[in-house]
Parts: sequence; C-alpha cells; structure tokens
Amino acid sequence: MRLLKPLLPALIAIILIVLDARFSYLDNLKRNSNTLLSPIYFLVDLPSQISHWVSDKGSDTEQLISENEQLTNELFELKAKLQIYNNLVLENQKISQLVDASYTLPSNTVRLARIKSVSQSRLKRQLVINKGSNDKVMLSQIVLGASGVVGQVIQSSPFYATVQLATDPTQRIPVKNVRNGARGITKGLASNESGMRVDFIPVASEIKLGDIFVTSGIGGTYPPGYPVGEVADVVSPQNEAFLLIKLKPLEEMNELEFVLVVSESL
Amino acid sequence: MSRQRPQILLLKLGVISVLISAISFPVAIQSASPFWVLLFFTYWLIYAQARAVYTCALLLGLLLDLLQGNIFGQNALALIISATFILNVKKSFYVSNLSTQQVYVFVSSALYLLITLCVHIATQGFDFGYLVFLAPLTGAILWPVVHFFLAKLKH
Repeated sequence: MRLLKPLLPALIAIILIVLDARFSYLDNLKRNSNTLLSPIYFLVDLPSQISHWVSDKGSDTEQLISENEQLTNELFELKAKLQIYNNLVLENQKISQLVDASYTLPSNTVRLARIKSVSQSRLKRQLVINKGSNDKVMLSQIVLGASGVVGQVIQSSPFYATVQLATDPTQRIPVKNVRNGARGITKGLASNESGMRVDFIPVASEIKLGDIFVTSGIGGTYPPGYPVGEVADVVSPQNEAFLLIKLKPLEEMNELEFVLVVSESL
Repeated sequence: MSRQRPQILLLKLGVISVLISAISFPVAIQSASPFWVLLFFTYWLIYAQARAVYTCALLLGLLLDLLQGNIFGQNALALIISATFILNVKKSFYVSNLSTQQVYVFVSSALYLLITLCVHIATQGFDFGYLVFLAPLTGAILWPVVHFFLAKLKH
C-alpha cells in the first residue's frame, strides 16, 4: 500500500516527460511559468549586480577618461572596418545580379545582452541572458560573442532568455571549412568542457590543424558565415569513412560577459 | 509542533535549495555538485511531520525543471522515486548516526541520478560528462554539513 501512494504523482511526472519530449503541448505553460520564476534569477543575480554597481561607483574619473579614449579609438577602427564591409555587401549584390545567384549576404539586426548565469543544469550547457521576448529575443535566434558563435536561444520569457551553448552535446551546427569548403556538422563533446567535434567529413578531405570552420547555413537554422571554431586535432582512422576532427571553439564560453543576439532576415 | 510548521519549513528549504540550484558554477563543479533539492527534501522528510510528501516532491521537482530548462517532469520523477526510498527507511534513518545516514543519502542520490540519466538518455541520447557520477558521493560527503545548517535553520 505504501508503494502505491507515489504511483499517481510518478505517473503524472512520466506523462509530463512524454508530453514535453515528444510534443510541444507544454511550451506555453513553460513560457508563462518561466515569467513567474524571473524573481529567482533576479535574486541569484543580485550579488553580481551589486558587485558591478560598486565597481562602477568605485571607478575614478581618470580611469573613466582613459576607457572613454580607448573606446573612441575602437569605434573609429570599427567604423573603418564597417566601410569595407559595406563595400563588400555592395560588391556582393552586384556580382549576385551579374551571375543571377540566389545567395546574398543576409542583413541582420543584433541586440546586446548581458549574461546573467552560466549552466545551472549538470546535463546541459546553457546560459541565461538579460533580454527576453519583451526585447524581441525569440526562440532559435543565434547568439554571438566577439569571436564567434556562442549558441542558440532555446527558451524565451519576457525578461530573460536561455541560450544553449554550441558546445552542448545535443547542439548540432552545420559548418564548412573556410579554406576548402568541406562541409560537416558539429557536436559538443560530452567529456570535454569546451570542445566540439565535426562529423561527416570524408577521409579523403584535406583538413589541416588551425583551419577555421564557419556556419554553412544549410538547414536554415543558423545563418551562413559565422565563425564556430578552429581545428585542434585531426585523425584519419583506418577502415572508417569519416575523419575524426576536434574543434576548439573560437569563443571562450566561460569568459563571456556580453553577447549579441542576431535576428536575421534571411 | 503546529500543523503548519512542516509546510513552512518545506517552503524555507525549498526556496534555499532552489536558489542554490540556480547559482552558476564552473562546469566541472556543477556536474559533480550534490542534488541540493534532494538533500534539503530528505531533511524535511526525516525531521518534519511531513504530509502530502509525493505532491510536494512533484511540485518541487517541476519547479526545478522549469528553472534549469530540463525536460518537464525529469527532476519531479527522480525526486518522487528518491522520496519513496527515504520514506521506506525513515525510522532507521532517524535513529542512525551520521555515517549510516550518509549511506542512505548516497543510495537516494544514486537513485535520483539513475532516473535523471534514464530520462536524459531516452530523450536526448547518451551525451553527458562522466563527472555527474560523482554527484551521489559529494551529496553523501556534504550531508553532515547540510544536516548541521538545516538543524540551525529549523530551530
């Protein structure tokens, strides 16, 4: 009789697991419940917010002037680079028209977000950012760091969003080698803190250490051309059809403070 | 003890454990860290006149699933199964010394891990770091500390 008591709650839990894993009936419920849980993230984040506030107040004028000068210089550099980029976009459009190609550089808009917390679950690699559906951060949008792809939005509530890292073992990104265009799919390594591997690249392909892989855009989930990682190890196994390639992410996930959420208009 | 007190104690323990679970640690520490909610819930099961145990386990587990972005019901099912084990050994647990209690905590944490991993493997495949297998051990090691602080909180 004692063992019968937990049967009903256990059955409810199993039904919820099946509903969540196989169907999307619970998505709205989860989204709304997440909104109610926002205060918990606020409380957990409070010490770091206080530390930022104290640190900001503690900065002296000289330091701020110096930082301001440095940022102004960086802004000038970025403006110069932007001009080159604009020229490239124009050239791309002209060439696309000439060859009647369907591929054009996508025009994307980005939103800056601050990281609130990293990986609260032992079985997932994810982070929480301080922008949510109120800031038009939507499901499956790509998230970038300064050096490359960080991951993808997997949950969005009004005040924050959860991003699954590119290094999560369940996250797969279609990629291509910048040097020779060899295409594959990345997968996070379960045993390594920040590594990935690239699957489905034939043994005959020429892959070198240091090669950069970028998103290929195949499948339409990730827009093309964003850097993902560089080759850290290549093994050509005997009697196997595909190379064993280890990729080191270009973005250091543990040192991130700000990220860019890309809403693409492909 | 008044009728409401166990529920108030559960509320306190629930809030603290959920807050601890939401704090972000480096990946290695996160993987090997104990199941905080289970430790706190075990204390409540043993030392409070707990009622509606399985409903509380279900709700607390669902709250944790939402917070961690897990499959909905994963932690809930694990908490219900672990609570069933703890309730079966409740009398023995209550009168045991700390080291025997650590063994019980280890077993309940191992059950929790087993259920969590089964759900994870069934829904997302065999993709997890092996440090998660340390979680029952760290839970058992930290049980005396948790027990000490929760006893202070209770009084």
